[in-house]
Amino acid sequence: MTVHNLYLFDRNGMCLHYSEWHRKKQAGIPKEEEYKLMYGMLFSIRSFVSKMSPLDMKDGFLAFQTSRYKLHYYETPTGIKVVMNTDLGVGPIRDVLHHIYSALYVELVVKNPLCPLGQTVQSELFRSRLDSYVRSLPFFSARAG
Amino acid sequence: MSLCVLEGMGFRVGQALGERLPQETLAFREELDVLKFLCKDLWVAVFQKQMDSLRTNHQGTYVLQDNSFPLLIRMASGLQYLEEAPKFLTFTCGLLRGTLSTLGIKSLVTASVASLPTCKFQVVIQKT
Repeated sequence: MTVHNLYLFDRNGMCLHYSEWHRKKQAGIPKEEEYKLMYGMLFSIRSFVSKMSPLDMKDGFLAFQTSRYKLHYYETPTGIKVVMNTDLGVGPIRDVLHHIYSALYVELVVKNPLCPLGQTVQSELFRSRLDSYVRSLPFFSARAG
Repeated sequence: MSLCVLEGMGFRVGQALGERLPQETLAFREELDVLKFLCKDLWVAVFQKQMDSLRTNHQGTYVLQDNSFPLLIRMASGLQYLEEAPKFLTFTCGLLRGTLSTLGIKSLVTASVASLPTCKFQVVIQKT
């Protein structure tokens, strides 16, 4: 079980942070375009899901999976989106994504007066804490399984 | 220029805290006791922790070191943001200077950061 990569977007589609741990295949397009593609897809799926839902929607879009990976999604009321790609053995990880938002992003970026919001995160502390947090998760193993 | 204003605000707050905080009237027999009060009671009241170390040359200069200063701890853990860090210490320098002033000690307080979140406050007593 493993984590492939993680994206962090803000309300305007700006990619605030991207980290990868085990990614065997790249998208074949420049990183900027990859972020735009990811954000555009999430935006469309969110509105599709809420429109086509046969019942009243509670949480909205949570995750999608393919035969090789699963994409987990978490959005805050302020429009911050945490997107994590893991392999198929991983169940719902809403609390993990929430922790990334509240204990890492809010604590180390929002509360840091030298970090301008709405731009890519420059804080080394955020990067290193995020990395050690993801590596400490029970479903992260050093060998890509 | 705005740093002077910040330091001045810290000074005013320190003056008031210096009046309000000390609980025993005769506790300050000498200068070192006042500095110990700053490191223990003042720091706990403002930052919920004590100062980590206090050094002196016994000739009016004291160096107070905090190894995990609360205002810097969320910023970085190392050398990032080192240039801007001292600005966030100005208010606290004023705070120390103001408290010392209420307790009868005229001083000059400066701060330095070698690596976040550790910072040092240097207090130089002004002999009149």
